Amino acid sequence: MRRFERMGVTIVFRKELADHLGSRRYLVLFALILLLSTMSAYQGVLYIRDRPQAGFMAIFWGAQFGFSFTYLMVFFGPIIGLALGFDAVNKERTSGSLSVLLSQPIYRDAVINGKFLAGVTALSILGVSTITIMSSLATTLLGFGPGAEDLLRITLIAALTILYLAFWLGLGLLFSTVTKKTSTSILMSIATWLLCSIMISIIAALVANMIAPIPMPSGPGANMTRLFESPEYRELIQRRFTIQSNIQRISPAYLYNEAVQAIMGRAGGFFFIGPGGGSPFRSLDISQALTMSWPQITAIAVGLVACFAASYILFLRLEIRPGG
Amino acid sequence: MPQPIVETRELTKYYGEVKAVDHLNLTVYEGELFGFLGPNGSGKTTTLLMLMGLTIPTSGTATVAGYDIVKESKEIRRVAGLLPEGAGYYEDLTARQNMDYIGQLNGIPKPEREKRIKELLEAVGLERWADTRVEKFSRGMKQRLGIAEVLIKRPKIAFFDEPTIGLDPQGVKEIRDIILRLNREEGLTVFYSSHLLYEVQQTCRRVGFIRNGRLIATDTIENLSKKVAGAEGKTLEFELTEITPKLVAEIRAIDGVASVEQEGLRLYVYMERDRSREVSETITKHGSVILLMRPREYSLEDIFLKYYEEV
Repeated sequence: MRRFERMGVTIVFRKELADHLGSRRYLVLFALILLLSTMSAYQGVLYIRDRPQAGFMAIFWGAQFGFSFTYLMVFFGPIIGLALGFDAVNKERTSGSLSVLLSQPIYRDAVINGKFLAGVTALSILGVSTITIMSSLATTLLGFGPGAEDLLRITLIAALTILYLAFWLGLGLLFSTVTKKTSTSILMSIATWLLCSIMISIIAALVANMIAPIPMPSGPGANMTRLFESPEYRELIQRRFTIQSNIQRISPAYLYNEAVQAIMGRAGGFFFIGPGGGSPFRSLDISQALTMSWPQITAIAVGLVACFAASYILFLRLEIRPGG
Repeated sequence: MPQPIVETRELTKYYGEVKAVDHLNLTVYEGELFGFLGPNGSGKTTTLLMLMGLTIPTSGTATVAGYDIVKESKEIRRVAGLLPEGAGYYEDLTARQNMDYIGQLNGIPKPEREKRIKELLEAVGLERWADTRVEKFSRGMKQRLGIAEVLIKRPKIAFFDEPTIGLDPQGVKEIRDIILRLNREEGLTVFYSSHLLYEVQQTCRRVGFIRNGRLIATDTIENLSKKVAGAEGKTLEFELTEITPKLVAEIRAIDGVASVEQEGLRLYVYMERDRSREVSETITKHGSVILLMRPREYSLEDIFLKYYEEV
């Protein structure tokens, strides 16, 4: 009996995983991410060839012509996770297969746990294989591979990426549990994606500009260079940056980016161009990086737990009614 | 003596303020084909969902196969199968894959599962479509797949909720034949919920009438018919060669005749007691010839409406 009870989750998990891996939705996203990330790794390789001191990790951030791996995840991560979760429950509710499923001798939590674990596994496969392919491609092109410390950093990035994608999956699962129609949950997903990946940086910039506007000297005799070099100006820019970061930290995508940058050994913000165009980044060792990114990692993990717990409770209390 | 397999005691369910099921007391016996009849929204589906443990009663208790519907609902789902109203399937999986999933969830080992799937798909006439994706299935085929899925666990009792709704006459007959065969040949207890009178009349021996969540009557259809007839008194239908107002007045005057209605050359005589002899004598005395004389029969619709109007 006890063995069978544990099997409920396994059976749902296996079926859901097979569904994901065979679904057009997953394969299209996978292909897209794979294509863009190999392109970004190639750009990273060119970057490293130009600046040999950049180190192997530059394949994840050194894309000069757009999409680095981190930006790819900031931008597409939400959509990958949400796409795998947004219709997990309400699709079965609408189609009527949920009442058939729940008429079987299993506990309800087997269904939601199985679905979530299958999603996380599918996302892990996507994340790990993308990072592996990027690294091996770069190794082949460069003629040298990542060192021991780089390998550790890559493993940490992979783990963090999985956590981050799992958060979006959990949020999608929550949307699918809260809403009855998939059309509603897909709209909620798209709105969240736009807000967290794109809108938030615009909003943050607007707010920063209202609180700390940049003075624009005008008229003859205005000396731009002197202004840019003054300590007041630097301070202003720093203040604007702090305001922007704090607002953008609402978005898990931003938190992820900050954490990944730190793990890659780069301190400072992703959206931030340093004064005078110079790089504000300094190199971090792994323990420093982990200490620095710990709040971000914790925040993402807490978000994931909160989303999953909410969908778990809602699903268990979901009342099957006549007519769905 | 047949054993009860479903017993509900004062089973009640509210959805907010709305009373869906109201102090329902119902017993279904092992091996019977029980018809659960009621109009749309009368609480049939809610009752079935409670019996399967998919929704929790507001008050009252019930047992299915001896298990409590709240505390032991998982055990119930092991021995009872439900074909829910508007049951759905995984459209991008084949019939066999759909059944395999349900079979796995019931803990049936692989070789046994494969054997049962083959047998059941044959039994419901889907063996040719076993490896076709369900999205290509017609409504009737999906419904037959649903029955096969219910049976894969070899249930003691099967709940069918409006199993023929939306099917064409051919599909309806196929489903009915399958259910009748299961009951007769396999001895499966069937709880058949429907709002379709003729469906139930042709399938079930004993029926329960439910309205507004209350059980109005439970009996065989013949007994229910007799009860309606008994309550109404006896009605005789005559066809005569001629009817005069005087004849009608005289029949009315017979002690025990409640009323007389005329429709062309037909007379309907409603009697409190049996006065057929007196009535026919009166007719003959008036020189009219009786071409036809028969007791009026109640159609199922009459019974149905009668029960629903009364409460």
